[in-house]
Amino acid sequence: MVEGRGSRPAVLSLRGLGKDYGARTAVGAVDLDVARGECLGLLGPNGAGKTTTISMACGVVTPTRGTVAIGGVDLAREPFAAKAKLGLVPQELAIYEELSGLQNLCYFGALYGLRGAVLAERIEWALGVVGLRDRARDPAKQYSGGMKRRLNLAAGLLHRPELLILDEPTVGVDPQSRNHIFETVRKLGQDGMTIVYTTHYMEEVEALCDRVAIIDAGAIVATGTVAELIAAHAGKGLTLELAGDVDAAAAAAAAHGELQRDGATLRVVPAAGLAPLVAAIEGAGGTIARIESREANLETAFLVLTGHALRDAS
Amino acid sequence: MIGAAIRKDVWLLLRDRGALISLFALPIAFIVAFGFMFEGGGERGKPRAIAIWHAPGDARGEGIARSLAEAPGFAARPLASAAEVRAQVAAEDAIAGLVVPPDRALPVELVIDLGAPAQVRGPIQGALGGVVMRALSPIPSDKLPPMIEAKTPPGIAKPLEDLSGFQVTVPGNAVLFGFFVALTVAMAFTGERRTGTWRRLLAAPVPRWKALLATLVPYSLVGACQLAFLFGIGTLAFGMQVAGSLAALIALSLSVVVCAVSLGLLMGAIGGSEKQLGGIGSVVLLVMGMLGGCMFPRVLMPSFMKSLGLAVPHGWALDGYYAVLVRQDTTVADVAPQIVALLGFGAAFALLGILLFRFER
Repeated sequence: MVEGRGSRPAVLSLRGLGKDYGARTAVGAVDLDVARGECLGLLGPNGAGKTTTISMACGVVTPTRGTVAIGGVDLAREPFAAKAKLGLVPQELAIYEELSGLQNLCYFGALYGLRGAVLAERIEWALGVVGLRDRARDPAKQYSGGMKRRLNLAAGLLHRPELLILDEPTVGVDPQSRNHIFETVRKLGQDGMTIVYTTHYMEEVEALCDRVAIIDAGAIVATGTVAELIAAHAGKGLTLELAGDVDAAAAAAAAHGELQRDGATLRVVPAAGLAPLVAAIEGAGGTIARIESREANLETAFLVLTGHALRDAS
Repeated sequence: MIGAAIRKDVWLLLRDRGALISLFALPIAFIVAFGFMFEGGGERGKPRAIAIWHAPGDARGEGIARSLAEAPGFAARPLASAAEVRAQVAAEDAIAGLVVPPDRALPVELVIDLGAPAQVRGPIQGALGGVVMRALSPIPSDKLPPMIEAKTPPGIAKPLEDLSGFQVTVPGNAVLFGFFVALTVAMAFTGERRTGTWRRLLAAPVPRWKALLATLVPYSLVGACQLAFLFGIGTLAFGMQVAGSLAALIALSLSVVVCAVSLGLLMGAIGGSEKQLGGIGSVVLLVMGMLGGCMFPRVLMPSFMKSLGLAVPHGWALDGYYAVLVRQDTTVADVAPQIVALLGFGAAFALLGILLFRFER
């Protein structure tokens, strides 16, 4: 058994995992361990390789290289034993909208060999977890977007997996359902379920995850707790409003820190303090009309690590 | 797991009004429409009217009129003038007419629309030629022995004597719409991919071959139910008869289902969106049905088209159904060539489908 963080064993272990599509490398070589009971956020913009990585981890996509172990079971050698330990909540609403919630769960439970009284008990439990008991017999097409997302989540929980992988589970949901999903994920985490939560929303990761893996351009660029990532990669940030020769000033500033530009506004994490940055801007013909200090946060860390903002990249 | 997939697909089908209509209601509408067309619009068994004129007292004309009256399948309609005969044929009140000029040196005029298809005109022209020849024979027609006696050669089972149009249109439409299950299968694969349920299935501890069967088996059952429904309605409501053995009918129908579902796998493997499949797939299936004789019997097609019909499974299926429904005592062994051909098509479709199918698309 591969060790996860601390002394806890890893429930998910990826080693040199990568995928090429022809000449294009979608995911390079990912190494990642998720410890038992941990909630890991996989954070990255759209197209960063999140879905490809978790698709390989679930056995949906065959990797070009590397290995996956789930609960200590090698996915390539014993796919069915490994997959039985895993629950996937896909990014799409992977449900049959014409069927009721109950009928959907009957079918998805059967995929994991659940039947009879056990299946009935698990369905009751999963519906309770996501708060859909009273609408279980209604066709899913009559559900709101958020309720469909919750049914999508329930379908991945039925067999009480050791590892639950949620792929952008809050896309397109209303705030109320989003909170409900958050609460459900927290509750599952408290009950000891290991969770991988992919998203491109920083606030979700900050709110839910014990640890974050930042993925960009098919590679994990950093892992750690939110506090660790901020401490290691995000110095205090500045927002500068420029005037004068803005283009020349922005070009000069780029040599003195991690920088993101939006018109005349620069968001900068200075590499060596404020003075050389100001000198460079003024030397290039620019002036600073306004300056504002920002708290270091995960967004700043992401900017430093990847060279671009999460939202811009998506 | 397959049982759960069957339940799920039956639930889905029962809620899909469009699929139910195209699989069950539409074929019945086609069977009724084409059935009555082949029945002759309710005139089946009635003699066809042939207008005739000859000069009063003309022995040749009277002989031909007598011969026409005796001919089975025709009803002589004597008229007062040659112009009236021509007018009735032009107005389609009579299918043809005979004008017998008093001058024996002149030939009898056959009044018929020369623009009518050869398949329609030829038999009438031939039969009326026989009527006239018989009348002109120096031996009185009532003394003449029958000129032709039709007999089925040894080796070919005797057909039913009274064949209704539904004997042709029920199997024709059953095969045409039976193969539309292929489209339903292909669209099911595409829909599963689009909604993400396919990803969920691949992430479950289910072998990939079982994931394929989870779609193919339910639709095989749907296809079998569809054919049972259509032949059942054909028998109970339209008087279609099964001249051969029921086992042969079942074996043939199961082969059609296997072939259609395999074709669905191939269409699903080739891919495209549901919209593309709905458009292109429907046209492909209609053309296959047309070539195979589902809409127009192959027996009436030119020989090249007749041969071309065997390049699609529909042609083989209809040959088999014709034997089972029309020829008495047809057994499974008699339709074995058609069953083997259908299963061969099915195996080829399935093999190509499996080779082209991309689970991870």
